[in-house]
Amino acid sequence: MRRLWAAAVLVWLPVAVTAATWGSWSGRLPARVATHWGPSGAPDRFSSTEGFWTTMVVIGVVAGVVAVVAAVVAARAERLTRGADGTGPPRAADGGTEGRDVGRGASRTDDGVDREAIGVAARRLSNARFLLVGAGAASGATAGMWAATATAALADPVEPRLGWRFLYFAAGLAWGLVVWLAAGRVSRPVLPVGPAVNPLALGPTERAGFSTTLRAPLIAGVTLASAVLVMVLALTGPPALWFVALIPLAAGLAFGRIRVTADRRGLRLVTGLFGVPVKRIPLGDIAGAEVAEIDPMAWGGWGYRVTPGRSALVLRAGPGLVLQLRDGRRFAVTLDDPQTPAALLNALLNRVAG
Amino acid sequence: MLFRVDVAAAEPLADQIAAQVRGGIMRGDLSAGERLPSARELAEVLDVNLHTVLRAYAQLRDEELIELRRGRGAVVRGDADATRLRLVELARQFVREARRQGLEEAEMLAIVKEAQP
Repeated sequence: MRRLWAAAVLVWLPVAVTAATWGSWSGRLPARVATHWGPSGAPDRFSSTEGFWTTMVVIGVVAGVVAVVAAVVAARAERLTRGADGTGPPRAADGGTEGRDVGRGASRTDDGVDREAIGVAARRLSNARFLLVGAGAASGATAGMWAATATAALADPVEPRLGWRFLYFAAGLAWGLVVWLAAGRVSRPVLPVGPAVNPLALGPTERAGFSTTLRAPLIAGVTLASAVLVMVLALTGPPALWFVALIPLAAGLAFGRIRVTADRRGLRLVTGLFGVPVKRIPLGDIAGAEVAEIDPMAWGGWGYRVTPGRSALVLRAGPGLVLQLRDGRRFAVTLDDPQTPAALLNALLNRVAG
Repeated sequence: MLFRVDVAAAEPLADQIAAQVRGGIMRGDLSAGERLPSARELAEVLDVNLHTVLRAYAQLRDEELIELRRGRGAVVRGDADATRLRLVELARQFVREARRQGLEEAEMLAIVKEAQP
């Protein structure tokens, strides 16, 4: 949280530079400065020096205010997503739940965890951080623009040239990067997951397994379309492209259908066509199975996604099976009937545990 | 879909697997054109002999519920009739119970005829 405040302070630094340099430069600057240069390098537009400086300061101040607001929002959201001790399940009672609809109270489960509020907070946190970094880049850019124009005018008041001073502007934009580094890594958001799934009633002499085929018309369609595109290019271009077209073609055929199997060995995902293993999670690595609504944006998009602490095969938005792994990571896959494999895996886990 | 067999049950494992698929079609869990796991895969999943699964699949093919094609595996037939299947399943139960009571075929048929209004 301290890092968020440091980042907000850093956004103000370029504003301070712009403000401070006015004192030492204004006396030597002409009334009008070049603010635009043509392709030949000669200035083709001039503005009032004081007006230009004021504009830069105002934009910088606005960026600074945005940064402070973003830091406040991010700090609050972070507190909510991280939970009290940073490891246990986050509790909505930690505060920061204002603005939550009354209707959302329905998502609150017996253990007092408001999963929906946490999901909202996680999204808010990433938005606020994005805004903070954007404000840093904007603030830096104004200071860079001011420094570039002012030093150009100071170097040659009659025929000011921008030249390498363009780098001041680039450095100003890069200030956003500094702010990003200062804000630190995103603490892994604890994603909202559905309630626990009751294990399937399984007799001691019973053997059970779940098997289903996932279809990914989206992935198949996109890859096949790109294969067609490459083929069209191959007709007019180098014939070697025909081989390049084979790559999306093979990928589309292989990943357009995926078999998911859950049994005593654990969970495995295999491509439908060539039987290429996509993912294999041994039962011993699984801590528990849950059912959740998968929001592709929250899991990093469509397809096979790997983000810190979790991975997922997301073929669509909707119900999915979420596995909690023993090492604290998660794996999710979108399925039409996640309840069945979740109940089966929980039953198999109980059996192993004795 | 979920497959489950009981190794301690009197019913042969192949019959149990076939019954699972029949049940899946009846409940609508398995729709026409749906691919069943390959025999090898299902044998691994359930930890049973490959020939047990092959026997179950052959039985389902003979009942015209699935198609077995080389390389494509087992696919639920488009004309697999869930309604008729339900009747067949009831008849199976009837025959099983009748046999248990020591009834002959002629007696079973007589009971069916009697059942007609």
